[in-house]
Amino acid sequence: MSKRTISVALAGNANVGKSVIFNHLTGLHQHIGNWPGKTVEKAEGTLHYKGYTIDIIDLPGIYSLSTYSLEELISRRYIAVEKPDVVVNVVDASVLERNLFFTLQLLELEAPVVMALNQMDIARKKGISIDVKKLEKLLGIPVAPTIAIKGVGLTQLLDKIIEVAEKGQMRRTEIKYGREIEERISKLTEMIKQAKYHYPPRYAAIKLLEGDKEIEEEISKINPKIVSAAKNLAAEIEEIHGHPCPSVIASERYERASCIVREVQKIVPPLKPSTEEKLHDLTTHKVLGYPIMILTLLSIFYTVFIFGGYISELLSDVLYSFKPIINDVFRDGAAGSLIWSIIEGVIAGVTIALPYIAPFYIILYILEDSGYLARIAFLMDTFMHKMGLHGKAFIPIMLSYGCNVPACLGCRIMETERERLLAVFVTTLIPCAARTVIILGLVGQYLGIGWALALYIFDLTVVFLLGRLVFKALPGEPTALIMEMPTYRIPHIKTVLRQTWFRLLEFIKIAFPLIIAGSFLIESIEILGLLDAISAALSPITVAWLGLPAITGISLIFGVLRKELTLIMLSALLGTIDFSSVLTPTQMAVFTIVTMFYIPCISTIAALVKEVGWKNALSITVFEIIFAIVLGGITYRALTLFRWAT
Amino acid sequence: MERQSNGRQEVPLTWLREGEVGIVSSIRGGCGRGHRWGFEKRLMDMGLTPGTEILVVRSAPFHGPLEVLVRGTRLALGRGLAEKIFVVKKENV
Repeated sequence: MSKRTISVALAGNANVGKSVIFNHLTGLHQHIGNWPGKTVEKAEGTLHYKGYTIDIIDLPGIYSLSTYSLEELISRRYIAVEKPDVVVNVVDASVLERNLFFTLQLLELEAPVVMALNQMDIARKKGISIDVKKLEKLLGIPVAPTIAIKGVGLTQLLDKIIEVAEKGQMRRTEIKYGREIEERISKLTEMIKQAKYHYPPRYAAIKLLEGDKEIEEEISKINPKIVSAAKNLAAEIEEIHGHPCPSVIASERYERASCIVREVQKIVPPLKPSTEEKLHDLTTHKVLGYPIMILTLLSIFYTVFIFGGYISELLSDVLYSFKPIINDVFRDGAAGSLIWSIIEGVIAGVTIALPYIAPFYIILYILEDSGYLARIAFLMDTFMHKMGLHGKAFIPIMLSYGCNVPACLGCRIMETERERLLAVFVTTLIPCAARTVIILGLVGQYLGIGWALALYIFDLTVVFLLGRLVFKALPGEPTALIMEMPTYRIPHIKTVLRQTWFRLLEFIKIAFPLIIAGSFLIESIEILGLLDAISAALSPITVAWLGLPAITGISLIFGVLRKELTLIMLSALLGTIDFSSVLTPTQMAVFTIVTMFYIPCISTIAALVKEVGWKNALSITVFEIIFAIVLGGITYRALTLFRWAT
Repeated sequence: MERQSNGRQEVPLTWLREGEVGIVSSIRGGCGRGHRWGFEKRLMDMGLTPGTEILVVRSAPFHGPLEVLVRGTRLALGRGLAEKIFVVKKENV
């Protein structure tokens, strides 16, 4: 065959440098989106090499090809059903054994595998040397040693990819299990062969013995007898070994991996602990770990928000300077206002997206790629557990005090969909900078700082309780921390910047239309003179239930765009900045509480849509509106009852 | 909490002190919600199969997770999870 297009999938554990290889190969020709109908990220890119067009897809980082997580399921289906020409298995040479466990499963899946034996530099530092030729022979697949962050070995990798794509696999080694297991695998394989199933029969047989839920379900639709036969065979294996069958099979697979490692790997451990080791000991230290973490995070977040705030102000000043020009051109007409509303939407987007989200993404990737994120999760796990989340959730939750938008986007570091949903929900409830402004500007200013603090604490208590409640209500397993703590390394800045850039584009694509449409809609309502009608329509809620002036309905609507607008609009609508002359203390407290909870701002909703999909984003929004109204009404009645207010 | 297995004493991983080595003997599915298949499979995938040596490196304060070394990999295991992993202490083997 002559020059053509080759499809390649990158597969491997997390923290092996997969995304560095992906970025090196595809450069700026990439597209980040989601898998159809899923919230798992899909990264695709293209590269031209020696006349070939190579389409690369970066599968999510996983440890196995079973069905523990959505990521594993997606990767497995992609490899088995879409059948890419070559699967590049990226492997961390410094922890070969665990990585080979995954390689062996790829071989069972009968994928055309090329191995990228990556992080050879880290392995060398640990005193590990690997006989590559022998590894190739034992596995029956081509192996290319690489140091991705330095770009070493990547052309050799590409050559091997082309070789496999053109000539097919050398001769893939088949992993043999113990005789008593093999007998049963062959029995099942024969049965599955007749059932014409889209996974390779031997692979399906092994997975059935391992109790794989997806394959069980699919095969039972074709022929339920196969599944019951598998259950019996698995029970026999359990009888022989005294351990559950899935654990017997995993043990044997690991045994094979460790056999191979013993043959190809030599370790001469360095005498002195390396700098990475010392850094690890320091950052996970019982006492010192915490101040180091707090100082690191505070200085990072402080820098981001100071820097972000500065840039944000600068950008909005520049953009707002166009307002008189537009007004001039359209002579203050309705068309001018509408056009301005679109620009205002862009401003809202730009002043949040660029100054906060871009630096945040950079920081998140640096924390993750360097390995520090895993240490933070280790230290904070106990605290996050109270809310049903594990340690990693600490990062988005802490971030949301600044701005909910990057916090929501940051929830993608959570492994399962359930955890992501829970983390996202909690982050949208945490009072961000804009809400803090309202608490301080209204309650703090007029009722005293003590009341502002009390409201803040009240908010956190509610967040905690709601988090726990949702944790109990959401179906699925409670979370448990099983996390690799990778060796510390210096992040590859180019990869970090590219990852940031492409994710920023993705966010802008989703968020901007939404923000602009929202801004346009609200402006249209104003021009059409419907504001009074709406505040009248809302008055059963605002006046009767919440005890607020009818006009607050409008400011709450504007707050959807940006939360601080609720306060700004309120002063504009009431025609005063002295709120104590128009609002009673009870009203201030109720208004603040409603503002804190009633709806994530439109940029946060956009982030929600990106991370958890339309349906979940909508449910969270609707829930929070209802919750805020109920809570506001109860507060109003409670405060009136206790005659705390005038 | 202690269990006997072939005359050797099995203890939960959390009973090991820092620096002690155990050999995984079994993983006991917990009580409570959720099916055990998920996390057991996950532990297997990460290399904690029966017979594997496991070194407790440290435990996080406030009853936090354990840092363990398994098959050359450094792992953090939530405490609730570590309580379900039963090991035989190396010196008793």
